[in-house]
Amino acid sequence: MHFTTRFVRTTIFAIAASMAPLVLPAQEQNAATSEIFRRYADHVVKIQVVETGSAAKASIGSGFFVTDAGHIVTNYHVISSLINSPTRYRAELIETDGTARPVTVIAIDVVHDLAILNSTLRNRPRFTLGPASIEQGNRLYSLGHPRDLGLSIVEGTYNGLLLHTLYPRIHLTGSLNPGMSGGPTVDEAGHVIGINVSTAGNQVSFLVPVDRAVTLLERALVSTDKTERPSLAQVGRQLRAYQDVYLHDMFDANTKTIELGPFRVATQPAPFFRCWGNSKHEPDLPYEKVRHSCTTDDDIYLDEDQTTGSVSIGHELISTRTLNASRFFSLYAKEFATDNAPSGEEDYVTSWKCHTRNVQSDRTTMRATLCLRRYRKLGELYDGLLKLAVLGRSDVGLVTTLTMTGVSFENVDRLSRRYMTSVTWR
Amino acid sequence: MALILEIRDARGVATWHRLDALPLTIGRGLANDIILDDPYVDAQHARIAIDENGVAEIHDLGSVNGVHENGSRRDAPVVLQPGAALRIGRTVLRFRDADEAIAPALVDAPAVQPTTAPRVSALPRLLTTTRGRLTLALIMVLAYAFNTWLGDTDRSSGSSVFGAALAFAAFAALWATVWSFVGRAIVRRFEFAGHVAVISLAMTAMLAWSTAHDWLAFFFPDARILQLLYMGIVLALLAALVAGHLSLSTILPRKRQWRAGFIVSGIMAVLFIVAALVADDKFSDVPKFANQLKPIRAAWIPTKTPTEFSGVMRELKDEVDKAAKKDADR
Repeated sequence: MHFTTRFVRTTIFAIAASMAPLVLPAQEQNAATSEIFRRYADHVVKIQVVETGSAAKASIGSGFFVTDAGHIVTNYHVISSLINSPTRYRAELIETDGTARPVTVIAIDVVHDLAILNSTLRNRPRFTLGPASIEQGNRLYSLGHPRDLGLSIVEGTYNGLLLHTLYPRIHLTGSLNPGMSGGPTVDEAGHVIGINVSTAGNQVSFLVPVDRAVTLLERALVSTDKTERPSLAQVGRQLRAYQDVYLHDMFDANTKTIELGPFRVATQPAPFFRCWGNSKHEPDLPYEKVRHSCTTDDDIYLDEDQTTGSVSIGHELISTRTLNASRFFSLYAKEFATDNAPSGEEDYVTSWKCHTRNVQSDRTTMRATLCLRRYRKLGELYDGLLKLAVLGRSDVGLVTTLTMTGVSFENVDRLSRRYMTSVTWR
Repeated sequence: MALILEIRDARGVATWHRLDALPLTIGRGLANDIILDDPYVDAQHARIAIDENGVAEIHDLGSVNGVHENGSRRDAPVVLQPGAALRIGRTVLRFRDADEAIAPALVDAPAVQPTTAPRVSALPRLLTTTRGRLTLALIMVLAYAFNTWLGDTDRSSGSSVFGAALAFAAFAALWATVWSFVGRAIVRRFEFAGHVAVISLAMTAMLAWSTAHDWLAFFFPDARILQLLYMGIVLALLAALVAGHLSLSTILPRKRQWRAGFIVSGIMAVLFIVAALVADDKFSDVPKFANQLKPIRAAWIPTKTPTEFSGVMRELKDEVDKAAKKDADR
């Protein structure tokens, strides 16, 4: 799931740019759908990011008018290359007749994947954003430019807010396709319910709830603060502010624990974590492994190859009945050395640096390694990897890993210390 | 004062001649007074005679390879005094004083001191007798096989242990063969077992040291000196390896053998440093860390408290910040 989301977000962005021809499933048409399309088609525009050097479009997405002054809502990931390399890219909107008009990004919300654009077009047909009531099973209609094939309408079903996510998402049963990102999804009365954002394939699609867009638009309209201009520094500030809320209580004294062999370890640090387990028992292997891991499903899109904002923990219990101490420990050391660090791109992060110490926390002696790398352009944000191997028995061991991406050093420090004390003998 | 000529051939075998009846001739030809069995020596190579002042001199008789003193060819006659050393072809000539002081004879009394004598000679005997040399090779192969067995816990550990033993034996044999041919070309001795002993000793020492280093790194992960110590000892072992092979395959003096060994180590050290700097500069998203784990009672392991570890984390942050700043400035 973790993988799928990231993969799909990447495709939304990347495939749209490659313009691969694709046959779409035929839409089931009915009177209501065609009526809605007729009524709202002119509210929606195509957003195009153009590389200034080659004057060719680098990616496309959708957006829609929300004020008489020409403000447009879209996704952050549609225009993220502009924030990453402001001199290399510019954005424009394409009107129904094909005319291109320049637009500027005036506000971003990287956490919820939203952006507000400003255009010079006044008094265009537009949506009014506001609260709307909706129930599970209601019919919804998504508008946008799938794979640059022209404005399309897709029918779908509202399936409520996702329960266990770090960032609020509406679950839409319907086929969103690359290029529809940033387009509106409306109910039969024409109220915007959410903004198209991603898909996991097979009709499982996701929307950003409209209230996030309302908040961002209000902020964009009142703000005259120059320091709040969209920039990578602002992206960094938004990530930090958001994480301070959800990381605050993680691994405190009330954290749920499970028993794993002779150890007691943390599990399900918060409701938005999903936990999985598996084990490796094979009759002809002289050891057994049991794995338990928990991870946040969602991460934040930064650029084509870089996501951030996820936290995960993983426990690996290794035990043996037949291996002697030296052989068991060479196996254990190999497990400890296994690379499970998140990948990274040189443009975004530095190389890892690590320090290792033997640490005693309460009655637990362990080998502790902290690896750290810093984001190059996002201010004081880091990826942290804490690896612990509990020492003291020659027939059983536990390698446990805490991975934090896009967090402040204070959070790395606090969570690492708490995590260390959460690992104990039963 | 009678002058003694000491002749040491390429194989290290020495003979002595008292220089009473001068002049005399030196060469490979059987008509000479002193005959040298050295293919680099002319049939009539040199002549030793007394000049008008009564001083002994050696004259090059127009030979192909000449007479060398201190590494350079001498065409003019060279005056012979006690202590002078010359080279003709691959044969070394040293001139000594018949009256020079020599050390007293060793007391040959093994029955009187049975405990000390054999222990002193254990290593030389391992290195000089064929049986000792093959024992060293066996120790090396067994040590590596045992080490492989410790590190391999998967299904086919038996075959991988056997494979490792075979691989190390084959490597040592190949390596020793190359050196043996080098020795045959230079000093016309094919010392296969000797070269096997040298590489075996070096590799066994290397394995022992890397095991010791692993334990040290486990106990003291923050000791930065360990890395330097590790490299230092590895390079010293390399120098010893080179010197050992040279002692069997050349007639260089011991000092020059070690010098050659340290030159090779020095070159390796420079290569290591350059490689480390390049690797340090290259971006990687795979972390590297001290991952040793050793089976020992937890109470015996020196540890830090979580609070102290927090200080370590802060140091790490400063390093990462510094690296990020360095990259940004570039």
